[in-house]
Amino acid sequence: MEALSEETREQLGRIGTARVVVGIPTFNNRETIGRIAEASLAALSNHLSSESAVIVNADGASKDGTPEHLREVIGEKVPLIQVRYPMYPVRRLSAPLAGVPGRQEAAGTIFALAKQLGAGVCAVFDADLESVTPEWIERMVAPVLEDGIDLVVPCYLRHKFDGMINNGIVSPFLRALYGKRLRQPVGADLSFSARLVDFYAAQENSSGDAPSFADPWDTVPVIANGFRIGQSFLGPRAVHPREVSPDLSDTLRQVLTTVFDPLERTASFWQKVRSSEDVPWFGPALAVDAEHVDINIKRMIDSFRLGCQDLAGIWNVILPPATLLDLRRMLRLPDGEFCFHDEVWARTVYDFALGYHQRVIGRDHLLKALTPLYLGWVASFVKELQDANAEQVEQRQERLSRQFETQKRYLISRWRWPDRFSP
Amino acid sequence: MSSQINGVFSQASARIAKSVADFLPGLLAFVLTLAFSALLAFIARRMIRGFLRGIDFDQRLKQWGFSELAEWSPAHSPSLLIAAITYWLIILVGVLIGISALDASLTQVLVLRLFNYVPHVLAAILIVTVGFFLARFFARSVLISAVNMQVQSARLLSLGVKWLVMLLAGAMALEHLGIGGDIVQLSFGILFGGIVLALALAVGLGSKDMVSRSLERQAERSADEEEIAGRFHHL
Repeated sequence: MEALSEETREQLGRIGTARVVVGIPTFNNRETIGRIAEASLAALSNHLSSESAVIVNADGASKDGTPEHLREVIGEKVPLIQVRYPMYPVRRLSAPLAGVPGRQEAAGTIFALAKQLGAGVCAVFDADLESVTPEWIERMVAPVLEDGIDLVVPCYLRHKFDGMINNGIVSPFLRALYGKRLRQPVGADLSFSARLVDFYAAQENSSGDAPSFADPWDTVPVIANGFRIGQSFLGPRAVHPREVSPDLSDTLRQVLTTVFDPLERTASFWQKVRSSEDVPWFGPALAVDAEHVDINIKRMIDSFRLGCQDLAGIWNVILPPATLLDLRRMLRLPDGEFCFHDEVWARTVYDFALGYHQRVIGRDHLLKALTPLYLGWVASFVKELQDANAEQVEQRQERLSRQFETQKRYLISRWRWPDRFSP
Repeated sequence: MSSQINGVFSQASARIAKSVADFLPGLLAFVLTLAFSALLAFIARRMIRGFLRGIDFDQRLKQWGFSELAEWSPAHSPSLLIAAITYWLIILVGVLIGISALDASLTQVLVLRLFNYVPHVLAAILIVTVGFFLARFFARSVLISAVNMQVQSARLLSLGVKWLVMLLAGAMALEHLGIGGDIVQLSFGILFGGIVLALALAVGLGSKDMVSRSLERQAERSADEEEIAGRFHHL
């Protein structure tokens, strides 16, 4: 964290302690900052009025007057602390999947202040949220204060075909490996307990004045270190459209890097996990939005076929012969009969995780080479569930997750004996 | 007269015999040095191969991100490549020492020239090696990106990029070695310029309609995608 200004130190001294900290990282969010600020104000003055609260704004040197606008909206209603978080050029150049560029540094800055304030809960929300309501704040904060949860991840109301990377890879993969049934493990808005804030603060790399924190949006260290995790039902998540968004292959690369990276560090943990368990739910349950939507899957199947044709040389290095044979069989299927079986998909994801671990080719290339296979799986999933209702979608999702759990033995075998076990 | 002729012949024979007698120990030394260096090279190759296998060098190299080296090594094993390079280096040094045993003055000149040339050779090897890896990296990047963008001729594009970078590296290496001189630069310039001109003509004249149709299709696809993307996100 950058050195605190005299004014901030005085402010901290005046406030003393606060039980609830609502953290809002910002970077040029003048247009949308009002919504999350108003929702926070409403939540803190109604649902959480009995708790002492502070809003912490970590800004990455916005040029559109975001901090000034936030000050105007908040006024004197709730104590507001505004600080700068270090914005490194490399962060500014990359297009983040969610939140502000350099969100790790922003979270680190907010955590450091939450620690100084002795906060019992620190909830961090994106500044570009357009659909946030006061209930969201309450549902994210209450499980930590009342139920002793260490990390609350959100569960947004989404369409059955929305968030397919999450549905098809991240959720079943993390469930199979780490044994926690999290529906949306890569949510952008999270709530942390004081214990967890201390955990991240302890990982601070105190080299000079530029500390780097472990990514607080990565749920794996939380699970692997025995923290209690919960999920809260929120409403539909609408965010302000970004100027620059990563394309599909870059999104896959970023997400899968976060998912595959901890595999080596946590190998002894996940290899012992034999089954999965439910994670506590909070808030009113929301069913998947199953409205019928016409999606053209032909282009996705074409993309899969083009990948089979042109990326065979790369896939040969990553995938074992049995999986390649299955893919070749799928290549010959007409569009109407196209089907990517769960077993093949689960093995494919595991093979890419193993390829990532063994560095069979450059990791960025490896992750981007998954794109046509992912699109093939999406096409198959959409084709199957085009007319399905919410319950059928849930059942289908459960079948997929179970298949990932069943195929985990395959991952463990190939992980332990990469040369001896190659089906 | 005949005694004079006999004298000349006997003197010539004596000179030849002396030269041969002078040369033979050198030749023997050359053969012995060569045999010794071959033996040393053989032992060094076995030891290096054994050591690298012992530390699982091939697998470690993969983990360090140099997996591509395996593809270009004999039997896909960088350990064998390193052992083979060591073997031939020892043989080369043995040959040089052996030649010095044959004729010291000739060797001095040869070795001096050789050592003057070595930095150029090393620089050329470095350029070709870096060029090779860059070519493979760019070719793979282009291939994956083009396939993900659903470009039908992704492989052709990737191959083009690969050869372009390799040609550039080759031309730079040849220039360093002093082979070909301006001809290499000129031919590379003509080749490179020719490719760009050919592409420009192909797009501008020959394939005008095809390109416009392709762009239209792309625009339609983008509009469709944007409509879906506004509602659905992959993450």
